Amino acid sequence: MISTGVNGIDNMLGDGIPKGSRVLYSMEPGVDGQIFMISSLCRAIEKDLSCLVILPHSTVETFINDVRAMKAGLIDLSSEKIAFIDSIDRERIQKSSHHPDLVQHEWKARIAKVCRERKIDVIFVYFDLLSEDFGIERGLDILKQGDSVLKPTLILELLNLEGEPLLSRFIHDFSFDLVISIKSSFLTLPHFDYFTLVHTSWSPQPARSVPFITAEGKIVPYIPRIVVTGPAKSGKSTFVTNASIEGISVDRVGADGDPTTVVMDLGRLHWKGFDITLYGTPGQPQFDPLIPGMFKHTMGMILMVDATKPQFLPRAKEIIGMLTERSVQMVIAANKTDLPGRMEEKEIRAALGIKAEIPLFFISATNKADVRHVLESLVNSIAQFP
Amino acid sequence: MYSYKTGIDQIDRLSGGFEAGTNILILAPPMSYAEQLAYALAKPVTGEYAITLSTNERAAEVVDFFKVAGSDKRFIGVIDAITKGSTPSIVDTPRLRFVSSPTDLTGIGIKFSNMIEAIFEGDFSDGETGLFPPPIRFCVNSVSTLLMYRKLEVLYQFLHVLTAKLKKIEGVGIYILNNESFDEKTLSLIKQLMNCVIEIKIEQNTSYLRIQGIRGVGSDWQKFSVNKGQVTILP
Repeated sequence: MISTGVNGIDNMLGDGIPKGSRVLYSMEPGVDGQIFMISSLCRAIEKDLSCLVILPHSTVETFINDVRAMKAGLIDLSSEKIAFIDSIDRERIQKSSHHPDLVQHEWKARIAKVCRERKIDVIFVYFDLLSEDFGIERGLDILKQGDSVLKPTLILELLNLEGEPLLSRFIHDFSFDLVISIKSSFLTLPHFDYFTLVHTSWSPQPARSVPFITAEGKIVPYIPRIVVTGPAKSGKSTFVTNASIEGISVDRVGADGDPTTVVMDLGRLHWKGFDITLYGTPGQPQFDPLIPGMFKHTMGMILMVDATKPQFLPRAKEIIGMLTERSVQMVIAANKTDLPGRMEEKEIRAALGIKAEIPLFFISATNKADVRHVLESLVNSIAQFP
Repeated sequence: MYSYKTGIDQIDRLSGGFEAGTNILILAPPMSYAEQLAYALAKPVTGEYAITLSTNERAAEVVDFFKVAGSDKRFIGVIDAITKGSTPSIVDTPRLRFVSSPTDLTGIGIKFSNMIEAIFEGDFSDGETGLFPPPIRFCVNSVSTLLMYRKLEVLYQFLHVLTAKLKKIEGVGIYILNNESFDEKTLSLIKQLMNCVIEIKIEQNTSYLRIQGIRGVGSDWQKFSVNKGQVTILP
């Protein structure tokens, strides 16, 4: 297997990319996703694989400087294991003939020669200009290296100006094995990038979309914010505490002598390859003005209710009403099922007015396994939401 | 909705300026002061930001123009598609970003997004802050050069995305296109992306412009001059 250079993606794919596969990194205009291809290249170099990098838009020197800037100088691109065909070569090839067929032949011959002489394991191609010069089909034909079982793995980066139809062509017409689409929400604040595993030929799975940030030359898949909300005393702080590897809670002693959250609970956890931040809202109605702000850019919500206190369900419904305009994934956690007098699911759903598609779990927030089960359901629904 | 002053008294008085989300095409022959006019329209007033995509001049030259015109350079950003060709090791700063060449639409798109993001997050102007949400003027100098490197269909799709994004952030876009070097189909296609067109012509060493697409402003040819970023309509 060949690593993508991003551990989170390798895990999603099983263990990386099967050798000989054809991979497309499709980039929406403006999305800062060049690090995907660079990460794959760097990992290939670390693994001592022979690489050919085709960059018709740039000189080798410029490319190396860009990669060093992205990877903080941590990678050595001067290795003899790497060959390049760059913008200067492109100019020479273009000038070799006025006839497109001959130019195409020259490209193909040059790539074949490098692959043969250097025993290339992986070809990395910045495909924009080749597809523009020859069209996608002929551009791909240039890159085809025989039918040998030892054919190199092919990894393309392409600026996708056509959207889904182009992805479909790569999957269905050109039989690509892995298609990853990198997009940007282009929200004004915060700027929000995500990748989608659109297609894998060797392990069919539903499309999964995952937000990411780039930090220190690495791609970090993350779920920016999950909010845990619900009426007071429903167990939100306990849930956040038991879900998190670190966290804080801003509590004060309430009128009944027990602590109650007055600002928010904050927790962090790293789980299933994601960095997750949990926000627990206060449950008292006087803090309601704070809640919409906490939901800004939230990707998922856990509504906690006390499964033994039907009198608090109208308050829970009120909270749902405050958030109906926000298109976030939601799950319901009916807490305190370890106590007597638990309501039935039907009763809770009717009181909250929620549809059957919204998952409802009976849990005890003191039980970490229960907490993780709720999180797993929500994280999966977010990551698989195309 | 925010209005971007043009700096041209007659136009600002009649229309209030460019509405947020306006994309303006400057159609001009070579040597016709189109660049000066575009930069003058892209010059930010206090509280605004300007980003220029330069395919013809180095970033330093672009910044110099705005400085001479009286702009605060902390509110000026440049995406430079020239300098990296001769200085591959040049590194980005928050306001000056470099792409390998005008062919590199991927890089241009990324640098554009990076700058918008930096402006919105307050990481652009050395701690100085402008208005919020930030009014952003974006200038492309020039579409003609981009067309020399990329096919019309590709560039059209790219500009389609760019102009849509500018509308979304309620900025204004100013794009220069040489109307003597391209055929009618090209001009017509690029015009489709715009909601205002400024044409320039030179007759007997005098520059004329006419504007189509600004409410309240007539589309007659008018004499004009540009000096230090100030456009003056001449009698």
